[in-house]
Amino acid sequence: MLVEKLENLKQEILAEIDKVDYSLRKTLTEIRVKVFGKSGHLTMFSKGMRELSAEERPKVGSLINSVRNAIEERLTAKEKEFENLELNERLEREKVDITEPSKGVLKGAYHPILDVTDKLMDICVSLGFSVVEGPEVESDYYNFEAMNIPKNHPSRDMQDTFFINDNILLRSQTSAVQAREMETRKPPFKIICPGKTYRNDSDSTHSPVFHQLEGLVIDENVSMADLKSMLTNLMKRLYGEDTTIRFRPSFFPFTEPSIEVDVSCPSCHGKGCTTCKGTGMLELLGAGIVNPKVLEMSGIDSKKYRGFAFGFGLDRTAMILNSINNIRYLYRNDIRFLNQMK
Amino acid sequence: MKVTYNWLKEMVDIDVSPETLAEKLTAAGMEVEEIIYQNKHLHDVVVGRIIKIEKHPEADRLVVCRVDIGGGVVTQIITAATNVFEGAVIPVSLEGADLVNGVKIQKAKMRGVESCGMFCSGEELGIDENYFEGAGVNGILILPNDMKIGMPIDKALMLDDVVYDINITPNRSDCMSVVGIAREVCALLGKEQKKINLNYDIDVYSKDVIRNFVNVEVNTKNCLRYMAGAITNVKIERSPLWMRARLNAVGIKPINTMVDITNYVLVEFGQPLHAFDQNNIGGQKINVRQAVEGEKIATLNHCEYTLNNDVMVIADENRPMVIAGIIGGTDSCITDNTSTCVLESAVFDLKSIRITSRRLGVRTDSSARYEKGVNVANAELGLARALHLVTKLKCGKVVRGVIDICNQKNDVREITCSIKLINSILGIEVPTSEMVRILNSLGIVTKAFGDKLDCKVPPYREDIENDYDVAEEIIRLYGYNHYDNLDYNIFEKATVTEGQYHPRLLLEKNLRKILVENGYYENVSYTLVGSDINNKLLLDSEENKIVKISNPISEDISCMRTSLAHSLFQNINYNLSVGNKSLRIFECGRTYKAKNLPLVELPVERNMLAIAVCEDGYDFFHLKGIIENLLIETSADYRIEISKKPYLHPGVSADIVCGDAIIGSFGKIHPVVAKNYDIPVNVLYAELDTEYLVTLPAKKIMVKAISKFPIVERDLAIIVDESVTVEELLLSIKSSCGKLYYSVNLFDIYRNAGLGENKKSLAFKIKLSDLDKTLTDEEVNNVIKKVLKALQYKHGANLR
Repeated sequence: MLVEKLENLKQEILAEIDKVDYSLRKTLTEIRVKVFGKSGHLTMFSKGMRELSAEERPKVGSLINSVRNAIEERLTAKEKEFENLELNERLEREKVDITEPSKGVLKGAYHPILDVTDKLMDICVSLGFSVVEGPEVESDYYNFEAMNIPKNHPSRDMQDTFFINDNILLRSQTSAVQAREMETRKPPFKIICPGKTYRNDSDSTHSPVFHQLEGLVIDENVSMADLKSMLTNLMKRLYGEDTTIRFRPSFFPFTEPSIEVDVSCPSCHGKGCTTCKGTGMLELLGAGIVNPKVLEMSGIDSKKYRGFAFGFGLDRTAMILNSINNIRYLYRNDIRFLNQMK
Repeated sequence: MKVTYNWLKEMVDIDVSPETLAEKLTAAGMEVEEIIYQNKHLHDVVVGRIIKIEKHPEADRLVVCRVDIGGGVVTQIITAATNVFEGAVIPVSLEGADLVNGVKIQKAKMRGVESCGMFCSGEELGIDENYFEGAGVNGILILPNDMKIGMPIDKALMLDDVVYDINITPNRSDCMSVVGIAREVCALLGKEQKKINLNYDIDVYSKDVIRNFVNVEVNTKNCLRYMAGAITNVKIERSPLWMRARLNAVGIKPINTMVDITNYVLVEFGQPLHAFDQNNIGGQKINVRQAVEGEKIATLNHCEYTLNNDVMVIADENRPMVIAGIIGGTDSCITDNTSTCVLESAVFDLKSIRITSRRLGVRTDSSARYEKGVNVANAELGLARALHLVTKLKCGKVVRGVIDICNQKNDVREITCSIKLINSILGIEVPTSEMVRILNSLGIVTKAFGDKLDCKVPPYREDIENDYDVAEEIIRLYGYNHYDNLDYNIFEKATVTEGQYHPRLLLEKNLRKILVENGYYENVSYTLVGSDINNKLLLDSEENKIVKISNPISEDISCMRTSLAHSLFQNINYNLSVGNKSLRIFECGRTYKAKNLPLVELPVERNMLAIAVCEDGYDFFHLKGIIENLLIETSADYRIEISKKPYLHPGVSADIVCGDAIIGSFGKIHPVVAKNYDIPVNVLYAELDTEYLVTLPAKKIMVKAISKFPIVERDLAIIVDESVTVEELLLSIKSSCGKLYYSVNLFDIYRNAGLGENKKSLAFKIKLSDLDKTLTDEEVNNVIKKVLKALQYKHGANLR
């Protein structure tokens, strides 16, 4: 009888649990109370155990336990199921449109000229160069005469210079720092000088204010081969590992021999494109062995020491690295331009 | 410098194509900037003869011509030209021709009749009357009757040359001539230069000698050599086609025999010549001298100049006839009626010519040449060549003798170089035999003995003085391609040096990074500004003396900036004008201030960091925040005071002060300045003196112990007068907290009429802590009481 009743209860409750759906999930608690509560069905059976005989008791006891476990198991499973559903529902509810814009201040950007200057300074410092500066409003002596460009000499025609008066001018080349450094430093040394330079020239490819980087190495035994290997290293690190450079003869009053350095075009890797006008190479630097006359003028013994120097335009470098095709963009500081430098 | 392939060929047996020659010249430092093919637009144009002209059946203004174009071919061409006639020899452009004016020739029917080409005018062939007689007429170019029918027109008119435009570097003035470039070509191709004919016939029937026509005196050291020859029976007429062709090819307009000869020699030998009409040389006396102050001369460019002692002139007995080396006067030059001509071939000091040319603002082919430097030997060659051409053109009789006054020695220089040194400069080994070969090919007669190279440098190579110069000559011809695949480690033979960053640039790098990360855009502006900068920024021009350029491009970029504010305000104005909003910008750059005016010593250049913001909702205190963030990068121990910067709002701006030094300022801009730059009044501006900041000692961090006992927080709201500053209150609170002080923050400011007139309510969060124990309520209350008392007595505060 009792066994039968228990079995019926079990079936009845299990059926009841199975019937509960998600919208009525609270009734699971009611069922739990109805079965396991203080006066719940199963509790009542347990209480009725006292009236049973000693041999019946363990049998019924274990039966009650098995019913309890079965119901408990079913209830827990159902509760777990509803919990999962509830969690999923909540996660769904909390979903955002991830394409909405981000919040907070967005980064600004560096100016391309100074960005490339920073890169070059890092590379050069790692190669043993120290970074120096010099005045932009400069004496004729340092800008020209100490660079072996005497007054009224034809080589002055290579640059249109802004003058303040007969002896003071706006430096037309960062080479103006060479003599200043040679006068004060003890060789051997390696320096670079980035900075603003000025020329009386303004058209679609020239800005009256522009930027150059000058390099100077004074040592006992440096040669054109050092110049080649050093510049190759520098250009590879700036434009990429597959970059090559080529020397061409040229003339600067302060170097002898003087060369132009062509760099393989980083846009087309030497194949020829609009950037390099189909030649595959870009004329990017001027360089050479420091003219011994320049060393002597600055008080360096040209019998003992030799040097090489190189210089190039940072505006052009920034333009090539960032595919900027309009020099005017560089000095207008239009946010629509600068914003693209991120 | 323009030279032509055919002209060079006259002097060297060139056995390579024009393109190969151009490549070789460029590789050796004679950079060919452009190759111009004269006949680029002359293909499919031939010499033809009109056999028959008939009226066009359908058009009154057209005629149908039968034209013999050589090789037995007769074609039909319709023309509207009115100057053609039967038997006329004319240029005929045939199908495929692509003329210089863009016309492309095709067979076409004109009113039903076929036309197989077009007759050409001079203009359509790219020539004018100066070049070829009849080329300037409005109509078809009628060619001489004896021209070979069927001949390509470029050959017939000598327009088949290839022209090089070569960039000659300033050290190679010896290459400013066809002869000079031919010398390079010889070296490049391993050829001998052919002799140029310098012989001329003297008028043997006349007893006259040069002194009967002219005498020369040189009275200035600026004239290094003066030579003159004389020519009688001068015939001024059109020079022959070959000469016109050469001049035309290099861009010089043919004029007449005498003028063309002087120009021809200028291009061929780089020697400027001047032709005088002998009748107009007063007293038959040429005096080369410096001008007398106030002397005047009317010149061929239709100007009159008043001269001074710096100007060298070629004068006669009475007056200056020529500004030496630059430009001739109108009343001494040759004319169509000249019968006797004195030809000057001189060399002047390049500086003298350069200074005068600049001062007068006159540049001519002659001055351009002299400025670069002409070797004194050249005068003799140039004069001889000119007299040779007179003989050849039969345009005059050369008088016996020439005048030659030379004030400069011009010898072959001997220099000795070290082979080891040359190789050590080059960093590669050039075989000695190659060195010797190359130098000899350049006319530098060289012999090698052991480590020594003995070089005999010809006078025209004034640029070669030492081993370095010789090294360059060797490598440019040996070939820079020897470096292309060089196996050489970086700084293989150099001393190791430690690279050091520039300290200020390093500081700037950190500050710029903070700004970029906070949404600021870096600017780089022209440091050149208009002269009104101080006025616009309300700056005192005594304290901000402006450095002015004497030769500016334009007024708005004629001065060096005295403040970065100007640059950033202009950039804000520009960005707003193109519709950009929310602007946060900054710039690291220099200001330039003269110590004295006029400038005698270099001005003070000071590096600054400037920031400007134009953004809704961004106020003074936002700016203060970023400034504080920037200064945290430094060890600056600073306070802020009301700013006195004229371009900032006097009530909403602060100076950052370290000791006595103002190291920066920030605040809202002055409304008048806003108006001057046409920018909104809510623009904020800040600047920091990075040059000062970099002098501060490196920042040092010293960590204090952190209490393991809890921090106690108390909030305190008080009402004070508006005049009481937050800074004062914070300092009071801090000192009243004594050693239990941990921190104090202002977290609310409240203003309301209910508080009373000129009152504000401030709420502070005070945090207390003790390293050794948990604070009791009593201890905390005592501190807070002390704080309140201090606020009440010292600042008149009331608890809210």
